[in-house]
Amino acid sequence: MGLPTIHTDSGATTRIAFQCNPAEARESTRALRAFLAEHHMDEAELFACELCLAEACNNAVQYVGDDHRNEAVVAEAVCTSSWVELRVVDHTEGFTMPKKPIELPPPDKERGRGLFIIHSMMDNVRYLRGEKTNTLVMWKQRAHHLHRPFARPSTDVPDELRRQLDDFKRTIGAMARELCFRSESLAAIFRCGTELGRAGDFGGFAQRLLGDLLHLTGADWFVLRLIPPQDLELTVFAASDPELIGEPLRLGSTEPPIASAELAAAATRTAVVYTAKQSRLAPDPLRATGPKATGIVHPILFGETLVGTLAVGRTETGPPFSELQAEVIRTFAEFIAIQIVNLRHQEEQVGARIMTRELEIARSIQRASFPRLLPQLGNFSLAGRWESARQVAGDFYDAMPLGDHSMLLVVADVMGKGVPAAMFATITRALIRAMAPHHHQPAELLKQLNTLLYEELSAVDMFITVQLVSIDLRWRHVVAASAGHCPVLLASGGGRPVRSLGPTGTPLGIMPDPVYDQQCTTLDDPACLMIYTDGLTEALNSTGEMFGRERLTGWLRDNVRFPCTAEELCEHLAAELDQFRSGTPLRDDQTFLILTDKTVPADLRAADTAAPARRHPVEPSPSEPTETVSPFKS
Amino acid sequence: MSVSQIGELSAVNSTVFRDEVQAAIQPTLRTLDIDLSQTLFVDSCGLGALFSLYKTTGNSNGVKLRLLNPAPQIQQLLELTQMHQFFEITRD
Repeated sequence: MGLPTIHTDSGATTRIAFQCNPAEARESTRALRAFLAEHHMDEAELFACELCLAEACNNAVQYVGDDHRNEAVVAEAVCTSSWVELRVVDHTEGFTMPKKPIELPPPDKERGRGLFIIHSMMDNVRYLRGEKTNTLVMWKQRAHHLHRPFARPSTDVPDELRRQLDDFKRTIGAMARELCFRSESLAAIFRCGTELGRAGDFGGFAQRLLGDLLHLTGADWFVLRLIPPQDLELTVFAASDPELIGEPLRLGSTEPPIASAELAAAATRTAVVYTAKQSRLAPDPLRATGPKATGIVHPILFGETLVGTLAVGRTETGPPFSELQAEVIRTFAEFIAIQIVNLRHQEEQVGARIMTRELEIARSIQRASFPRLLPQLGNFSLAGRWESARQVAGDFYDAMPLGDHSMLLVVADVMGKGVPAAMFATITRALIRAMAPHHHQPAELLKQLNTLLYEELSAVDMFITVQLVSIDLRWRHVVAASAGHCPVLLASGGGRPVRSLGPTGTPLGIMPDPVYDQQCTTLDDPACLMIYTDGLTEALNSTGEMFGRERLTGWLRDNVRFPCTAEELCEHLAAELDQFRSGTPLRDDQTFLILTDKTVPADLRAADTAAPARRHPVEPSPSEPTETVSPFKS
Repeated sequence: MSVSQIGELSAVNSTVFRDEVQAAIQPTLRTLDIDLSQTLFVDSCGLGALFSLYKTTGNSNGVKLRLLNPAPQIQQLLELTQMHQFFEITRD
């Protein structure tokens, strides 16, 4: 069979693709033998090559699945003056090459004898498993170098042309070799990458990938060290031999001399050559690779970040890694870096998802701790709204009856947002609920709250603003005390001006022994009372404009109409705020509480009078309510 | 009985070779000579066929199995795979 032959300075190459059956396989091995015979191989070498090719081709034919029986098997031979390389590309599912030495199977066993023969007759054998095809590569050193140099084509061509031709041949030969090498590297990377995606087992993935790297580069050992997150040590993650798993190496000792090649590669961020001879006296963990070992240590970098080191080498002193082999080692190190960073990123994402879920739970707990049903006493209707800027909030509102005719309204804002603010909000709310029955004066209650919370709040540099309003529902008396909170707004509808109650007081947690004022007034009839947090007035729209207190009081002035319920007003105001923000995210929690008269006195119902009337004129009250300021000290 | 003119024993012909030889063996056979002097190539399938003949004749029926004049490479292969212990290898 006349085979196409490519001559380069590195030898002659030929390739046969044949149908997947024993007869074609045999014909092809004969043809390859004839090709090798043309290159002056002796009879023993020819027999060995023919036999090993036959065994490899037989396996490729015998073990192929029905799906691939129609695909051609490829056999190649490269012959130089000193060595022969034989390749057989199969479409089988592949097998795992057993470790050396390969034992002779029992004589009656059908399988395994061919592989034993190949390993016995060839000097080096590699089985490279790819995604769709596998390649068995066999190398044999030619026994003696008495062969004639390769037959050159006739030299009738001018010298210049010959020189150019030689250049081209060299280039093509080098490119062909590099292409083969790279395609094998890529096949190994893709196969391991697919496995990683399936199994998520990074340890096994690294072990298999680096096992392939040893085959590709003709190396014997590897040690992969990684830096665990938030750590400063290079810890062995995978090694070709359990005996190479040494102690972690502490990073940071960059002062020369660095005793370990791996630490040197980590410190310099460059590849470092390792030789056992040079590190004989130094405590280098790579000395476990043997007294004659040599190798190369690559830093594993992701961008500027050091992720680990990869050491690859040979047990016996031999030629150093070629430029291409060193590049493949670097490529594998980079590929591992990407996989590690991806894996850690995935772990972080999982962590973030867990955190989000926990916050969702915290939010639902906090929402459940808000009063589900506000007390509705007498003629009054009460409603509140709460919207947090984060999953959990530092704002809260509450309302609790104090006896049959009084009610305490609470709105508070813990400085900050998120979980810490929510924790203090929950504690404060519980304390107010526990203490309110015993302290009917709002200022006194604030004073006691500050005493209880001051130490904890000041320790973490936090503070809480609180507005307390107690209302005597019979006499419509209102007493308000504030710990640095926004004022209470009072509206009587019909376009009348909105009043405010702004007693002074320091937020809880600022001073150990503050003074809290109380302000008293009587509610108009009908009236609307509103307590809110600054997240409402400081809400921004898309142009950066604040909602502001003026807009809020204007809204109250123009929109409070009687009869109405607090719920209706809350809904109306929430819609107003949404419209104002028009999608701009909340910067701070928004909370407000509204108390209104449910019905309108008969005398007001008839005509929309300018001045409010009194339903229970039991006490004299001026048409413009008097604000009484009474310093309160407990 | 003697079998000769064997060009090769490979995956292509070893099964046919084994079956034909077995079919030709008489119960009275004492010696089976397989002449490998013309044989240029033997692979693991060929070795399998030879071992199969040893099992069915030599081992169980006491027939003496002789391999005649194998080429040096084939003799090395028989030794490498420990097959030589089942046959008497004879040279002229």
